[in-house]
This record gives sequence, C-alpha cells and structure tokens, in this order.
Amino acid sequence: MRFISIFLSVFIFTACSQKEEKIPVDLTRKGFSYYPAGELAPVTSGQGRKGDNYVYAPGIRFPIESAPAYLNSQVYGVGGYLGPKGSLCSETNYAYPWHDNYCEKRSKYNMPLCSMGTGHQGVDIRTATCEKKKYYAVAVENGVITSIGTYTVQLRGISGRTYRYLHLDSATLKVKRGQNLRRGQRIGLVSNNMGSTPTSIHLHFDMKQTIKIGNSSKTVFVPPYTSLVEAYKRLLQGHP
Amino acid sequence: MRTSFLRTLFFMLLANSILNAGGILDIKWPELNQAQQKAVASYPKVLSEGIKEVRLPVYLSSSYVDDQNMIVVSNKDFYSISFLLEGATLLFEGDRTYQEVVSVKNSEFQKIVQKLKPVEFSKSEEVMIAQFNRHGANYSISVECEKPQTDKRCTEEAFIRGLYGNIILVGGKR
Repeated sequence: MRFISIFLSVFIFTACSQKEEKIPVDLTRKGFSYYPAGELAPVTSGQGRKGDNYVYAPGIRFPIESAPAYLNSQVYGVGGYLGPKGSLCSETNYAYPWHDNYCEKRSKYNMPLCSMGTGHQGVDIRTATCEKKKYYAVAVENGVITSIGTYTVQLRGISGRTYRYLHLDSATLKVKRGQNLRRGQRIGLVSNNMGSTPTSIHLHFDMKQTIKIGNSSKTVFVPPYTSLVEAYKRLLQGHP
Repeated sequence: MRTSFLRTLFFMLLANSILNAGGILDIKWPELNQAQQKAVASYPKVLSEGIKEVRLPVYLSSSYVDDQNMIVVSNKDFYSISFLLEGATLLFEGDRTYQEVVSVKNSEFQKIVQKLKPVEFSKSEEVMIAQFNRHGANYSISVECEKPQTDKRCTEEAFIRGLYGNIILVGGKR
C-alpha cells in the first residue's frame, strides 16, 4: 500500500512539475507567479537545483515586511554586470514571475549542494520599488541577533537555523547584537550597502543549517526559494 | 521527460530521506590539561561569563582571548563571539545542533561527507570563512571587511588561516 502511495505521489508530482516548467505558477489572485525552484534565468547563469521542492524552513515569515517583492537575479537581470544593458531600476526587474537564483554562478563561493560545487549561497530579493532605505527587512522566525558586520546581519532562529540579511542600511538598523527578536520584528531597511563598494538595491537572504548523516554532520547553505514562495503566499493572503 | 522524471524521483527520495528531525549532536569532549585549565581561569569576565552555559567546547583564536571588547551571544547550544577590529568584524561561532537528518544511503550527502576536510576556507559574499568540525560540533570563523574588495584580510586567505592556526579551547560545559 505504501509503495503504491509513493508511486502515485511521484507520478502526480512529476506531472505537475512538467507543467510547471512550461509556465510560471500563479496560485494567488494578486498576480504573483513564479518559476519552479532551480530554474535560473538566463540558462547561462548557472545550474540551479531543479526539482528540489523541499521546504527547508517551513513556516518562516517572508523576510521583507510588505509585498510586493521580486526575487530574481541581480547579476544577470537588466543593468546587472552580466545582464542586458539598462537601468537596475528597469520595470523588468520589478515584475513577476520570480526566478530562483540560488546556485547562480559564483566561482569563489563553496556550495556542496550546487552541482558545480560553487554558486550563489542564497537568493536576491528586490523590494516593491527601486528605492533604498524605504522597505524593512524583518525576522523570519523568533531568534537572536548573533552578529552585525559592515553589511551583514545574522539571526539565529530558535530552530537553530542561521539566516543572513545582507545590504541593509547600517546607520538605521533596528537591532543590536544579542537582541532577541520576535518573528516579523523589524531588523533594518533594505539598501545597497556592501561596505566601501555599494551594490544594487536588494536584500540578499540566505539560510544555513546543519545536516546530520550517520556520525558526521555538515553546516551548509540550504535552498531558500521554496520556503520563500510559501512565506510570500502567506504574506499575500494576509497572514504572514 | 525521462530525465525530468529521474530528477524528480531523485529529489522525492531526497525529501523522503530527510526526516526533518532536529536535535543535538554527540560531543566527544577533549580533556583539558593543567596548563589549559589554569589559562581558562584567567580569561576576562566577558568571556567566562558569556560562555558559562555553553555545552560544547568553545574555541577562540589565542590572539583575541584577552580582548575585553568582545561581544558574546550564547546559550547552551551555541556561541557567537565577535570582535570589532579596525575596518573589519571578526566572528567565532560554534554550534551543537542539527536541523535535518539525512539517510546514510543518500548518495548526494554521501559524496558531501566523503569530501569533508578537517577545515575548509572559502568566501561567502566577500566574507572570508573557515569552517570546521571538531568533537562532533560545527564551528566557523568569519572575517567581514569594510573594504571587501581591497582589504587583504578579505581578499587573501593568510589572515583567516592564521586565526584558525592558533585557535585554542577556552571553555564549555559538559
């Protein structure tokens, strides 16, 4: 019986994912649509983790306080340093559907869960409009701020998972080291801060957790995309 | 179609093999010799008080153990000790928890485990990181620079290798 159930699950899941690969999914009535996990754009931007729809961080809150937000590539999007010419504020960048960018090409960043062995360790998210210091990044779960660097803020959730928020405006941060946060509490304003060399206006968000296998364990950056899709749907539906 | 099916099946099996059961790793405690025990007693209060509840071995670079300006965030399962240097932030972390269990038969994670090194140096968003596993717990050292493109502490590995090279055990509660 269990075998039949597993077989049917696989069959149905496969049928669904075949459909998903052709058109972005719109499960809300607010225009939100997204490509499946691992479908990077353009295809030359790297090999995503296609088919991994596992929700590594179930129930998290979306890391930007308000919708809309747009998850897509900073590097390969319009105005990105490897993208089509144009303004970083192009409307194309501020539109659905979402595109995963976990595992996007980054030659220096070790990534055991990316097929190339290196890649983007999280995802980049644009806020509603191309304006810095206007939209708040918030805690995705209850936790404590463990570190604040020049351009990173690190939250350790009660789950033990570590979340990094990059490029927030450091002068207006709402948190300090050691501060306990509630889920949804403001951390800081999304900006373009990367120390002395500013980046584009966006939030880089990543999630690190420890995976145990036999007597060994390894702390890795896990795919955030599916967890964020679920979180964003909840945000759009009014119960973030 | 066939490739897609196999890919989906692979990740279905992966998801199935992840039991989503977090917990505490087994710590194999090292023995402290007399000299180490004496040294532990002399550390600044901010350190000894900050890590008094931590139930895993705590490591810190010997160059920084006496720095009174360290900031310690901890509970029984983890610690995070940071230092604000001139133009950079230095962070030492240790954690005894895990969030997922993967079956030993999972081929992807088998490969990851086979490739495990005693220490791994890498970059993460221009932050220089050393990651290692000792006594069953997971540790990292990170250096984040105000000028990540030009500061040698973030462009070359020498600084972080030096930090890793002189880490010492500074405490932890069994």
